[in-house]
Amino acid sequence: MEELIQFRNVKKSYQIGEKQFNALDGVDFSINRGEFVVILGPSGAGKSTLLNLLGGMDQTTSGEIIVGGEKISDYDEEQLTVYRAERIGFIFQFYNILPTLTVLENVELINDIVKKPKPAMEILKDVGLAEHASKFPNQLSGGEQQRVSIARAIAKNPLLLLCDEPTGALDSKTGVEVLKLLKKQCEGKEDGNTVIIVTHNALIAEVADRVIRLKNGKIVSNEKNEAPKAIEEVTW
Amino acid sequence: MLRKKMFRDIRQNLSQFITIFLMVWLGVLAYAGIRSYMDGMTTTAEVFYRENNLQDLNAVGTGFTDEEMTEIRAMDGVKAAERKLTLLATMVSEKDLTLQVNFIESNEIAQLYVFEGAEFDADNDGIWLDRFYAQNNDLKVGDTITLKYGDLELTREIAALVNVPDHVYDIKDESAIFPDHKDYGFCYLSAKELPETMRVFSTCMIDVEEKKQVAEVKTAIEEQIESVIVVTKAEDSTSYAVYQGEVEEGETYVGVFSGLFLFIAMLSVVTTMTRVVKKQRIQIGTLKALGFSKKKITRHYVGYGFWISLAAAITGLIAGALIIGNLFMSMEMAVFQIPNGAPAVKVKSLVVAACVVLIVCLVTWLTCRKELKESPAETLRTKKIKVNKETLAITTKGVFGKLGFASKWNLRDILRNKLRTFMGVAGITGCCLLLVCALGMYDSIQSFIGWQFDDLYNFEYKLSLDAACTEEEYNQLTADYGTASSMMLGIEVEQGNEKEANTAFVTDAGDYVRVTDHDREFITMKDDGVYITEKLAKLEGYELGDTVRWHVFGSDTWYESEIVGFDRDPQNQNLKMTRKYAESIGVIYQPDTLYTNADLSEVKALAGVELIQNVETLKTGMQSMVSAMTTMVVLISVVAAVLGCVIIYNLGILSFTEKQYQFATLKVLGFAEKRIRKIYVLQNNWLTIVSAILGAPLGYLMTNFIFTMALSDAYDFSADIGVLSYVLAIAGTFVVSLAMSKGLAKKVRKIDMVTSLKGNE
Repeated sequence: MEELIQFRNVKKSYQIGEKQFNALDGVDFSINRGEFVVILGPSGAGKSTLLNLLGGMDQTTSGEIIVGGEKISDYDEEQLTVYRAERIGFIFQFYNILPTLTVLENVELINDIVKKPKPAMEILKDVGLAEHASKFPNQLSGGEQQRVSIARAIAKNPLLLLCDEPTGALDSKTGVEVLKLLKKQCEGKEDGNTVIIVTHNALIAEVADRVIRLKNGKIVSNEKNEAPKAIEEVTW
Repeated sequence: MLRKKMFRDIRQNLSQFITIFLMVWLGVLAYAGIRSYMDGMTTTAEVFYRENNLQDLNAVGTGFTDEEMTEIRAMDGVKAAERKLTLLATMVSEKDLTLQVNFIESNEIAQLYVFEGAEFDADNDGIWLDRFYAQNNDLKVGDTITLKYGDLELTREIAALVNVPDHVYDIKDESAIFPDHKDYGFCYLSAKELPETMRVFSTCMIDVEEKKQVAEVKTAIEEQIESVIVVTKAEDSTSYAVYQGEVEEGETYVGVFSGLFLFIAMLSVVTTMTRVVKKQRIQIGTLKALGFSKKKITRHYVGYGFWISLAAAITGLIAGALIIGNLFMSMEMAVFQIPNGAPAVKVKSLVVAACVVLIVCLVTWLTCRKELKESPAETLRTKKIKVNKETLAITTKGVFGKLGFASKWNLRDILRNKLRTFMGVAGITGCCLLLVCALGMYDSIQSFIGWQFDDLYNFEYKLSLDAACTEEEYNQLTADYGTASSMMLGIEVEQGNEKEANTAFVTDAGDYVRVTDHDREFITMKDDGVYITEKLAKLEGYELGDTVRWHVFGSDTWYESEIVGFDRDPQNQNLKMTRKYAESIGVIYQPDTLYTNADLSEVKALAGVELIQNVETLKTGMQSMVSAMTTMVVLISVVAAVLGCVIIYNLGILSFTEKQYQFATLKVLGFAEKRIRKIYVLQNNWLTIVSAILGAPLGYLMTNFIFTMALSDAYDFSADIGVLSYVLAIAGTFVVSLAMSKGLAKKVRKIDMVTSLKGNE
């Protein structure tokens, strides 16, 4: 499998008062194209920082991040904007969908920034929201809102789907539905999306192709899961 | 501890608290400033009139004798009476300036207020000179001047520089509006300086015991004193009435300008304060969960609004009186001659300032109470943004459905934030309105000058004839300068039981003095009745074809004239008739003015002529009014710009804070900064367009209101605003609005996606 992402001695530090805090402290790992990856770790381990760097929302203090052969850690603001628009699909714990746009419009929003987006209605059918297309987000349940967020992310046909605690605000049953939908994005296709989920929920790691464990800003382990469980088997 | 929290919260939300402070400060400053100027005008005049004993009545007659004076003084209700002889003399100098010379025997009534020099003394042969006239002509106490009236020539030393309560406003001629203190002034001399034969006192000033006796004394003098022509109240004198008119005009400014400004400022404060308290929701919940009583929490948050608005209101009150009050007072005191003019802060301003503080506290209390109604657990949760699907559903259909993302998003943002949008529109409308009004006032004055001096006056020179002009002198004048003439009659018009003093303009001036109709089109006057100015007709309820019953002051012959037409005159509301008509009903035509296009630029004096006035000089006299208006235009424009900036900045900050997480989402999705900035500016552009559409006509209405309502009844001119002024006002509004919103849009660059999105969680 082709190596899609490489982190080479990536550091991210913040100045807090007089002290320097290392959110990521020399992280090295790589991820292959089409993998369903779970980055696991307790609060403050550096998971979200890692995701933000990978998603082009933040810049490294040092080290290199290479995505699809391009060193994005050298990108300037403008290049990062294009990178986020064309290659990244974000899914957040609290959805971050625009409350004044309908479900369909939230997905169609991508048409404004991507040249060849997937047809919005088709995606809504895929995620089971076709009948809610004309509703506003506050008329939907949490799980449905998260599916809108996934639909918006995959409408870009992104290289990477980055999910920050995507099931964190959902109950177990709805969370499983969301995971199924995410897993579907990297299954059965050669050019399938690479999905990276950041979570503190160890149970989710059981369904991943690869599990990267973080603690205090450092990689504790990076293992390939030879026998991932079926999502239906997971519950929390 | 809570006090410490309050100071830190204020520091953390400094820009919003600065906005609240500024808006309250500016609102109170504008209101209290103009109010203090109005109150200052009223108080200053009241004190001057009272302390210097302004007469209650003026009697004009053919010459008040010693016996008549004794008779008047003996009348019931009369406290004192003094007589006066007034002449228009020439002060011999390079330019031969005109001075109104008053000869008096004593000075108990309308006492001279001495700035410098000696108090009035009938045995002193000096001149008590108009202070402004002296200043403008570089004359000082001790200087010697020569006065020339016919064959009489008096060379005297200036004894003092004075103000007099019945010379608060003095103009050379009714054609002028603004006094020209360089060209015209007054002075007082002891009557002993006049040769015995010339001591014909045509005016008698009467001081009554009690105000309620004024009407009674007036009638008694009119009926019992033989030489009386007319008795008028002091309130009817030009000096008193014009000053009072200015005060009333200012009262309208207080209501219109400062009221509008205060209203917009308060709208802004209320919105901001509501948002500030709402932002504290979690903290309110925490305090509640910790066991703080509702009363204590409410008091804590009301304190935010109270201290800030109190500080702003107090400093606004002081600064208003010091800055705006003094500025306007000094402008007025350059026109009106009143000593010790100073702004005054009265109870009304204090009440308004207190109300402002109360409103801020009330709004804070109401917002806080709303948050406290929920349980601590509920308050501690982040409030979900409410989206009214019914309202927003409209925007998904028809033409709205086809709009682009930016338009759709902004449209719905407006629908979701109606109060914030209303506040923004109100502020920008106010800005545009004030700019239209400022430029419109200037345009309207120019239009008025054009109407009066280019349309109605179609001559180069106006010769005001001397009362003593002989037949030979008159014949010589008409032979040299033509026969275009007019006569102004002091008349009394009877309507029911009421009798109103007015004037009748009798013209034989042909095309030299023109008459205009409602649309300012020229009309040719008919010879079979009288014309009445439209405004007067409306005021008195006259219709075309009605009969007006009138008589000339000093004559008992009453005339009944049919109204054959209405005319419009920008500064005189009276009756007009042709000489032919006047003579046909028995009025003796004795012209007091001649009009000519001959070149009299080199002529200083003419036999039989009291005053030679060039139409251009009259026009120049109006320039002082224009320059006062220019100051007003600049001031209002600055206020408008400040208002626009503060409102848009405040609106911008509020809307930016509320949209920040959505912008962060767009940034994460890959929207370029430039695009997000455009989305942000778009809404502001819409609001500015709506505001300009509202502001331009409202600006016209306000200007019209000022000219039709605020000016005294003598004037009749409405707003006349040129297209260029509208264009400039709208462009100015856009410049202010665009500059502010573009400046604020730069904040998009500073949005930290990670922090913003975390903050929303």
